[in-house]
Formats: sequence, structure tokens, C-alpha cells
Amino acid sequence: MGFHIVKRENCPWWQRLILYVAAVLIALGLGAVVLLFMGVDPIEYYYQMFTMGTVGNRIAYKTFMNYLKEFVPLALTATALSLAFKMRFWNIGGEGQFIMGSIAAAFVVFRFGPVLPMWLTLVLMCLAAMLVAGLYGSIAGVLKVKFGTNETLLTLMLNYVALYVLNFIGETKADWNFFLQEQSARPVFKNFSSIAAFPQFALGGKFQLNLCVILTFAVGALVFIYLKYTKQGYEVSVVGDSLGSARYAGMKTGWVILRTVFLSAALIGLAAAFKVGTAGVLSTSITDDVGWTGITVAWLAQLYTPMIFLVSALICVLQHGSMVAAATFSQVDSSFANMLQGAILFLVLAADFYTRFRLARVKKGEKKNG
Amino acid sequence: MKKIVALFLAVLMLLSFVGCASTGTETGTGEGGAAAADFKVGAIYINSKNDTAGYTFAHHNGIVTAMKAMGMDVDKQLFIVDEVPEDAEQVGAAVDTLVGKGVNIIFGISFGYIDAMETKAAEYPVVIFSHATGYKSNSTNFNNYFGRAYQARYLAGIAAGLKSLAIGNNNVGYVAAYGTEYAETASGINGFAMGVQSVNPDAKVYVKKLGTWADEVNEAAFAKELIDSFGCGVISQHCDSAQPQIAAEKANVFGCGYNSDMTPDAPKAHLTAAIWHWDVYYGTAIKAAMECGEASKFVEKMGTPAYYGGLKENFVDVSPLSENCVEGTDKAIAAVRKLIVDGEWDVFSGVKLSVNAQGEVVKTDAALVDNQGNEIVPAGGESVADSVITGTMNYFVAGVELV
Repeated sequence: MGFHIVKRENCPWWQRLILYVAAVLIALGLGAVVLLFMGVDPIEYYYQMFTMGTVGNRIAYKTFMNYLKEFVPLALTATALSLAFKMRFWNIGGEGQFIMGSIAAAFVVFRFGPVLPMWLTLVLMCLAAMLVAGLYGSIAGVLKVKFGTNETLLTLMLNYVALYVLNFIGETKADWNFFLQEQSARPVFKNFSSIAAFPQFALGGKFQLNLCVILTFAVGALVFIYLKYTKQGYEVSVVGDSLGSARYAGMKTGWVILRTVFLSAALIGLAAAFKVGTAGVLSTSITDDVGWTGITVAWLAQLYTPMIFLVSALICVLQHGSMVAAATFSQVDSSFANMLQGAILFLVLAADFYTRFRLARVKKGEKKNG
Repeated sequence: MKKIVALFLAVLMLLSFVGCASTGTETGTGEGGAAAADFKVGAIYINSKNDTAGYTFAHHNGIVTAMKAMGMDVDKQLFIVDEVPEDAEQVGAAVDTLVGKGVNIIFGISFGYIDAMETKAAEYPVVIFSHATGYKSNSTNFNNYFGRAYQARYLAGIAAGLKSLAIGNNNVGYVAAYGTEYAETASGINGFAMGVQSVNPDAKVYVKKLGTWADEVNEAAFAKELIDSFGCGVISQHCDSAQPQIAAEKANVFGCGYNSDMTPDAPKAHLTAAIWHWDVYYGTAIKAAMECGEASKFVEKMGTPAYYGGLKENFVDVSPLSENCVEGTDKAIAAVRKLIVDGEWDVFSGVKLSVNAQGEVVKTDAALVDNQGNEIVPAGGESVADSVITGTMNYFVAGVELV
């Protein structure tokens, strides 16, 4: 008597939905148990978390603006990563590409911002960030195509190279270093929000919608179309599914890989430009871990662009809401959000397993197919 | 494609709805002074509020102690956003969250919050902003605070100096986060070295710098190197963990800790530690915030936009002397403490102290000279300005060597 795993032929969408929702609920339930142990009322905590403390809050509009500031880089980075993942190119280097993009964006602002009109500065900022991040990501792409190196390790290690470059810029007071404030005795990054900032539109009341939000949705739509309806998008999935078939079909696989990796990294650079152009200052925590969280989001959404936007929106509620909830309950610190996120990812991936396979009893006398 | 458009429209609709919903007046209590029972304190921490040692712990402990002493309910009146990196966006979001909770005063404990605190203080004039270790402020609702740790370090230096005399070893080691790059570390090293020299004029202080505020592995390794290669008999420190003291104990030498009493960590080595009583400032600030009527009068109520308390205010101190200290250390320290508390003398002046274990203090006019031979303060001159000690002290005094 035992179980064995059987491939599931087809799993209707409603069954999948039930499985995923159940996974999230179980994760929240596990979180609730932990909260109970800490002496916190889970219902009150989750209420604060899911409403992000906006109920009865006189500056709720600020919460939504802050929320969108987290959402934009995450959604865009996850979308960008999904491009590479679709091709089975494991780009773990989102952090590094984001950092390189933000340095390039800040460079453009400091060098050209004061003499150019603001719209031109913003455009140049985006282009520079995309180019630099794209090229930085391409290092691993070129080495993979030329020498068959492992891109997971390379992109991972390049994250730290980028981080230390940023730390070096942030800690080195010198005449050449125009990234820092001149008058401060300690090294502090210089603010440039007066030189370049993305425009915001008032949407009634005090809420201001940043142009980056609209652009992010536009880029998301373009990526969706690119992957689904263009020849290049088709090539990406063929190379991902089977390199051999792609070659047999006459695709220039090396070129497809390079092109896609560049595009993926460049879009992360664009996310960095959006972030820098909204924050108006660099920091050594500029990425806010989107390069890592983006990987989680891309997988939770199964690389499907509209789902990536939805999952990003939910993960941001989790992150921002956890900060708000943790502010109220002295026992819980903000790392509870990380734990919950981990539990959700783990359980959703488990649910994903059940959409593809099922457990079947081994009948007596039946031969096990190993 | 249709789905994306639908999603986009849905989000837009949600947002515009929220935008309309929040057209109320700008936030804040603004109803004049809040009573102790409904006064709300906010805090932004660099590490976890559940830490059990280190910088964030020291501040959290200070805020909680001060609030409890005033009869406030920490569970209901204290709001904390922790693990906030030095990033303007994230600090800004933390401030928005706390203001949304209706706090009256926000403490930010990390230096890098400086610009975000300044911007937000202007944005929310009805909330008080108080920033540790910074130098920015305004004349209404934004101040900064720090302490004269160099005074406590001078006293610890006396304990170290007496020990160095007793063991007949003039070499003293110092594991520092940074050297002359930060006035905070430079003034601490100088204050300590001058304390050592007040009892042992022949002593030399060898400094090794980590290049970061906390690095447990190197904190231990650097202490060991100071002991092994430079023959140091006493190890002082300006870094987060007790590793240098533990290294000193392993090598059978002595040490002076920092931030907390490290005698339990190294019972056979530790002499005394320069420590902070953060609750002294937090109590003062919260009281002033409650009494000043409205946020814009906070700085006026505090009397200064830059609180800089020392031994006199009991804001800094040395931890209880351990049994490892030389006999008479308490008398020597008490004598110098009295001079500082009474305002008769301060560390970085043109007057040098000569102290012994009987508690006798001799004052002599002598120039304050850096280790390159440059005169900083002429003999008999006034003490170096506070702004130099907190901001631009970028030299070591004579007898200090960076190795």
C-alpha cells in the first residue's frame, strides 16, 4: 500500500483558482498561529495589514502614493525578469542591474540635468539607465552564449559587484564625486528632485498619480503583446522550451538569447530610472530588494504578464501593510512580512504541483512505474 | 489585452476614489498640548525593535524606560517602524505611516535619515521631528540630539590608564568603526586617549579601524592583532559587539567596552564601559513635547535645536567599575567627573589634567596638539567648539597612532 505521483491531464481554471486561494489562506493561517503565540490578535493584525491602515486615516492618500512607489519598480522588474525566465535564462541579477541603472540615471541628472529641459533629462535618464543595465546584464548573456558559462552564478555575483560600486560612490568623499553633498562632513547622497522628477497628475483630492505608474502599465501591455503576438516573443518561448528544436527550426539561438537578456536587463534599468526619478536621491538601499522579490513575483504569476501585475499589487499590500500593522503591534517587527511571503510562495508552489500532478494509490499487485 | 485595460481602469478607479475620499484637512492633532494619556510617540529604527543588544536596542530601551517612568502605556502609545534603511523614500513612507497613526513626536535614530527628516518636518508642521546624531534642525518642530560620549570615554580612559600603569605596559589598543572620517569616532578616540594620558603620560593608543559600524569577525581579529603585534595590554573599542572584550579576555589582557556594561561578556578582562542613558534625552524630549503646547514651539521649549547632553545631564556615563579595576580608580574618576559636571573643565581645552589613584587632580596649562604636531588649542585656551566635536574633528591628538 502506498502512493505514487500521476500526471494530471487537465486541471480546470476554477480548480486551480481554488488551490491557489487555499494555499494563500493556509499561509495566512500559519501566520495567524505565529501571531497568536506572540500575543497579537491575528484578525486585528490582518485587518490593519490588508487595509494598510487607511481606514480612519486622514492621510490615506499618502499611503496609496507610497504604495504605488513600491508597486512600480516591483511590477516592472518582475515583468522584465519574466522575459528572461521564459527563455529559461535564470537572471538572478535583477538587484545588480537595478543598481547600475540607478547610478546611470543619477549620472545623467547630475551631468546634464542642470542644462537640459526637464523632459529631455527624464528621457535621457531612462535611456541611459536602460542601456547601462542592459549591457551589465548582457555580460552574463555573452559569456553564456560564447563559453556556456552558468548565468545563475554570474548574475548572482555581479549583484555584489554593483552593490559595492554603489557603496563606494556613497562612502567616498572626493572632488570627482558629484553624487554626494558637498557641504556635509559625512558622506551623504545629494538630492536632485529639483532638477529631475517625473510629473504627477492630481486625480481629485490630494492624491497625485505619478506618470511612472501609467508608463509601467503601458510597458506591461507591450511586454504582453511582445511575448504573445510577435515572432520574437515566439522565439523566446521556443528557445526556452527546447534549445535543440529552436536550432532545428533555424533560429539564431545565440542572438535570441542576447537580445532577450539585454531587453530583460534594460527593462530593470527602466524600473531603476522610474525609482530614481521619483525618489530624487540615490541610496545604498535603492533597490528595496525588488531584484529578489521580483523573482518570487514572476514565479507566483507563472510568468504571465497580467498575473505579474496582480501578484505585484498583492505582494506590495503584504509588504506595505505589514509595515503599517507592525507599527501598531510592538511584538511584531517588519520581518514578519518576509516570513509570510515565504510561506505564501512555498504553499503556492505546492499548490502548483497539485495542478499538474496528483497522488494516486498504488493498488495491490500493480507494478510500480518508477 | 482587454484584461490589461480592464485591470488598469480598475486600479485607476480605485485610486481616484481614494483620492476623493481623502480630501479632509491636513493631519495631526493640532489641538494644543496633549495630555500624557493620549500623547503618542513614534520611532523609526535602523534594526529590529526586538533586538537584544546594540544600537537600536539601546534607543528602544531608552524610549521605553522614559515612557514607563512617565506613566505612559508603551503598548498603546508607542508606534515603531523598524528595519528602515537609510533611504529617503523608505524613511518618508515610515514617517507617513506614523503620522497616519496620529503620533505627536517622531524620533529617527540613524544618521542617514537626516534629509528625509528635514523634508518631512517641513511637510508636517504639526508633528515634532527629533533626529539622533544628525546636524540639521529648524527653529520650530525639528531638532537633533547627541551626547558628549567623549566625556565618558575620558573617564574610561582613566581606568585604562591606571591599569596600564599597574601592569607596566604603556601600549593601549582601540578597535574603532572609523577613524578621522567621522567626528564621532575621532572625538571618542581622542577623549579616551587623553583620559589614559592623564594618569599615564607615556601611554600610546594604537587604533585599528573596521570601516563599518559592526563586523563581529573583524572586531575580534583586530583586537587580537593589537594584542599580538602591538603588545597592547588594554583594549578599548568603538563598535557594536563585545568581541574585542572577549578577545582581550582570551589573551589575558584587559579592556574597556562601549554602549553597554560588558563585564558579563568578559568578566576577567572588562574594566568599565562608556555608556549612554538614552532615556535621559527621551524623557526630556517627550516632556517638552507634551508641555510646549504646539509642535512649532518644541525647539523653543527645548532651548536649543541641537541637544548635546553630557555627564552633567547624566546622558553619558561609565558603567559600574568591575573588580578588575586598579584600586583608587573610583576616586580618580569621581574627581574628574566633578570637574566636568561643575563646568570647571572640559576635555578638549588648553588645560591638561594629571590624575592619580588617590583622586588628586593637578591642572596645567598645555596646548592641545594633534599627532602631526599642529596646535589645535593654545595653552590655557578655551575648549574646542561643540560644532567641531560633533562635525569636523578630523584629527587624532598626540599619542594616538592609526595602525
